[in-house]
Amino acid sequence: MNVLNFDSRQCDRTRRQMDSYLSNELLVETTDEMLRHMENCVPCSSELESRMRVREALQRAAVRQPVPEQLVQAIHQRLKKNQSRPYWTARAPAWALVLAGAALIVIVGIAGQQWMRLDRTREMVASVLQLGVSDHLHCAIHGHNYPNVANPPEVLREKLGPQYAELLPAVEKKLPGFQVLEAHICSVPGSPRKYVHFITRGEGTILSVILTKRNGETLPAGRFVTAGSFGNGNFYEKQLEGMSVAGFQVGGYFGFVVSNLSEHEMDQLAEGLAPALRTALNAGQAQAALSHLIVPFRQ
Amino acid sequence: MFFKSTAGLEDFETAAMPHLTALYRTAKFLVHNPAEAEDLVQDVYLEALKSFHRFQPGTNCKAWLFSILFHRLHHVRRRLLKSSLEDTLRDQDSMAAEPPVPQEIRDENILAALDQLPLAFREIVVMADVEEFSYKEVADTLKLPLGTVMSRLSRGRKLLREELSEVAKSYGIGNSAKDAEGESA
Repeated sequence: MNVLNFDSRQCDRTRRQMDSYLSNELLVETTDEMLRHMENCVPCSSELESRMRVREALQRAAVRQPVPEQLVQAIHQRLKKNQSRPYWTARAPAWALVLAGAALIVIVGIAGQQWMRLDRTREMVASVLQLGVSDHLHCAIHGHNYPNVANPPEVLREKLGPQYAELLPAVEKKLPGFQVLEAHICSVPGSPRKYVHFITRGEGTILSVILTKRNGETLPAGRFVTAGSFGNGNFYEKQLEGMSVAGFQVGGYFGFVVSNLSEHEMDQLAEGLAPALRTALNAGQAQAALSHLIVPFRQ
Repeated sequence: MFFKSTAGLEDFETAAMPHLTALYRTAKFLVHNPAEAEDLVQDVYLEALKSFHRFQPGTNCKAWLFSILFHRLHHVRRRLLKSSLEDTLRDQDSMAAEPPVPQEIRDENILAALDQLPLAFREIVVMADVEEFSYKEVADTLKLPLGTVMSRLSRGRKLLREELSEVAKSYGIGNSAKDAEGESA
């Protein structure tokens, strides 16, 4: 006798696999197993039918969306215009070429200087962003200093102390889909620098939000080094040691968001987080500088 | 000799123009505004033409054009995703129960429901369910990990069913499936 229709675990598994089934991403064996289960399970087959109905309705509605006729024409015209644009509109006289050559030498010289300056600026940004990546790797990834089940908020607030407890709701609010597992003050061996560290889990990955005192350092501005802006601040991004990091300045602190998500996602999270952290820092005793911090390194 | 040959343009149009409909409808679903979608698609075609020499004949031209579309969209996206990520908070509660889906789904209802999805979910639902890109193609195009694509698609579809249920209610459409599901649950 087949009792699959009474096996709730099989139902759970079938429902988890439904999305992959709809996208034709399941292995043949898994598909067979799933279909066998649904032959005997009315709730599961009904749910699959419901999901298929929505998908088909969406496809049907989408393909009925007309393309404006003028768009086709406009694209043809723009492509043609762009394709036939002359590279060189007139032959220049010799003296003009000499002048242009001299100007080119000057421009190349200035550009070279600018490039070297830009290179140094980028190195400076990378060295600041490295702070966040080092703490994330040391504390969260290699040290695994977080529980599998999230610590309760009151425990996290106690670990953060009154100076930084108000940051917790800001982090929770601005990281939708992520759960704050751990929050504490920590450091990286070999450095006296302290970090306020939030370790979160979501989107199948571990993500850290980190604050550390700037000690008078600043991140340079300039459109070639910044990745975007929020309010009256900029944020920066880089790939370092296999991690994506977005950094920003909030008050007397550098802030970092570090994970292995894409750069675009990190941008978005940093944009949302930076102003919220600034507000939280300004709101309470968190304005106290990290130099006053006497909380020992906790794990 | 000072002008580019138009032979390249013909090759480009042969390869790229068949995907105009898919690009336009996707752009419209993502930016909402038809005029903005038209501008976006025109920009995509111009950019694609400029980099057509990098396109490998025989590979997936539609996926290549979509990569350009999303690359351009990311400029707009920073602004859009601000609200989108805030909207995403709503999906925290959405995983609890399976929403009932109306038996009859009208075009305007499903499109209205789709419009309500946060952009981060909407773009993946459109790519996977309307344009039928594989998980890997979606991940490559959006530069996201495969697991993120799978979880967002699953959550996006569920949000869509919830929105559809809400939209149907607001239009006063009956839900004959609800009773059936209630009985079978």
